[in-house]
Amino acid sequence: MRRDWHDLWGGAAMTAIGAFVALYSVAQYDIGSLRRMGPGFFPVVLGALLAGLGLMIALPAWHRAGEMRPFDVPQALAVLAAIGLFGLGLQGLGLALTTAGAVLIASLPAPRRGWRWRLILAAIITVLTWLVFKQGLQMTMPVWPDFPG
Amino acid sequence: MNTVEGILHGFSVALRPDVLVYCVLGVVMGTFIGVLPGIGAMAAISLLLPLTYYISPEAALVMLGGVYYGAQYGGAVASILLRLPGTPQSAITTLDGYPMARQGRAGVALFASMVSSFCGSMIGIVVLVVLAGWLSRMATRFGAADYAAMMVLGLVAASTIGSRRPAKALAMVVLGLILGSVGTDVNSGVQRLTFGQTQMMDGINLVALAMGLFGVAEIIGNIRNAEREGSPPHVSLRQLLPTRDDLRRMPGAVARGSALGSFFGALPGTGSTISSFLSYALERRIARRPERFGQGAIEGVAGPEAANNSAAISAFVPTLTLGIPGDPIMALMLGALVIHGVQPGPLMLEARPDMFWGLVVSFGIGNLILLVLNLPLIGIWVSMLRIPFRWLYPAIVVFVCLGVYSVRGSSFDIAAVAVIGAIGYLLAMARFNPALLLLGFVLGPLIETNLRRAMLIGRGDPMVFLQRPISAVFVVATVALIAASLWGAWRRFRSRTAA
Repeated sequence: MRRDWHDLWGGAAMTAIGAFVALYSVAQYDIGSLRRMGPGFFPVVLGALLAGLGLMIALPAWHRAGEMRPFDVPQALAVLAAIGLFGLGLQGLGLALTTAGAVLIASLPAPRRGWRWRLILAAIITVLTWLVFKQGLQMTMPVWPDFPG
Repeated sequence: MNTVEGILHGFSVALRPDVLVYCVLGVVMGTFIGVLPGIGAMAAISLLLPLTYYISPEAALVMLGGVYYGAQYGGAVASILLRLPGTPQSAITTLDGYPMARQGRAGVALFASMVSSFCGSMIGIVVLVVLAGWLSRMATRFGAADYAAMMVLGLVAASTIGSRRPAKALAMVVLGLILGSVGTDVNSGVQRLTFGQTQMMDGINLVALAMGLFGVAEIIGNIRNAEREGSPPHVSLRQLLPTRDDLRRMPGAVARGSALGSFFGALPGTGSTISSFLSYALERRIARRPERFGQGAIEGVAGPEAANNSAAISAFVPTLTLGIPGDPIMALMLGALVIHGVQPGPLMLEARPDMFWGLVVSFGIGNLILLVLNLPLIGIWVSMLRIPFRWLYPAIVVFVCLGVYSVRGSSFDIAAVAVIGAIGYLLAMARFNPALLLLGFVLGPLIETNLRRAMLIGRGDPMVFLQRPISAVFVVATVALIAASLWGAWRRFRSRTAA
């Protein structure tokens, strides 16, 4: 089937988001009047507008062939997982382990085999991070895990 | 304060040691990130945004401005040497810059791009000073309706002019406006679209949004392609010297490019990328032998590089005098200023002359530093193109996380970057322009406030937007732009069904 799947899904997502925002705002917030607009007025109008634009994107895409672009799934997962580890681990694990772990995870999809350069890179970046953010900028965060006792 | 006093005052600000240090840091970091292909000025400014929390507002603005025009200088290096645009603004430079490099004239192309960028910036500064004074006198007469109408025009212009898919561009703007309305409503105190998350009461964090949309999404997209770069040629200082013929061809192209750039840079919606394309088209049209273009014509490097740099400077005109950013990069600048409690607007020239004149003079100093620094350092920038991306990107990931964390010590914001980054990557894959989302995000609260005020003053009658002459002009222009893009879409549709 020759369809422009990127536009089809993209437009459908816009319509879904817009419709959700508009309906949620109608239900939750005061719309007010044209003279005294309530907190709901702007989101409702924008949500409806986005839903309409989504349809304008998705409908023509049904009858049109689009180029297929492959997703970089491993690359995306690795980078996002590294950031996720940072968000979840910084307070508990401390700066050193989080940074080293994030570098190792992020470097997984890099097109070069071997562990040696990855470990060296993790060590270099961890030391640099500690120097810049902890020693230089004096940011408040734990460097090592907080072991009881 | 007249212009001479202003410039003298500007020197006293721009030569302050802290401002000077951050100016140098900004232009060097900007060039560095601009040289790296695939990471543009948007990502560069996003990455350095958290640092500005630690410094004075003058130094912050000077540094971010330096990153912006520094990235323009750096972007040309990768365009010329590898035919990979370092930034979108320098994409057009590949057309003649790369053929020049293939003919062994890489040094001359780099020289031409740097000197043209410098001249373009200087002309941009003059335009900025002249236009800013004039516009801020005019803008004191602007009311709420005029502001709202002008911002809507800016958003519509940014998404329709030069866009092949206006509906997708407008969808991004509207999504940005919706995200901008998240948080506490200033009029009623109601929590909007926060879904009970107390961390979202102040709205979505600008730094997290910018990093997720530009930093993270651009890293993911570049990992696969980064390793097949060719190795750049060696460039020595002696090779920078142009021939007499080159010197004869450059001044005209630079003058025309700067004029185009400073005009389109100051308009809302048309920025430095469009200016560089227009300049290239103009040079080819007026050339006596247009077939030289694409084969290494030096005008094809000089014109566009002058255009994108002068546009980068004159883009500050609406941002500083009206408080309205004309393009997404300026939206990021405005966001940085608001973080510091500085609200740009028509009164800024009078109320904060240190900010305005300090910035103007720092543009001159920064560009001079770039010219003096980059010509001898060109070897270093070229060798940076040899650093494999696999060493750089894990460091950038860590830098993004700690940068966001440094803003307010919130791990929630780091997690938000992961979510926004995932969304940003999906948007980029579906060819939506996330830069327009950011423009809508920054302008959204300003539009809503002015719209509500205008409707209150106009007693709920939307005709208030047509009764005021200034806003009527903006409304008519907005309608004309939408009509033109609908007409264009209809003609494309007809031609396809006929064929």
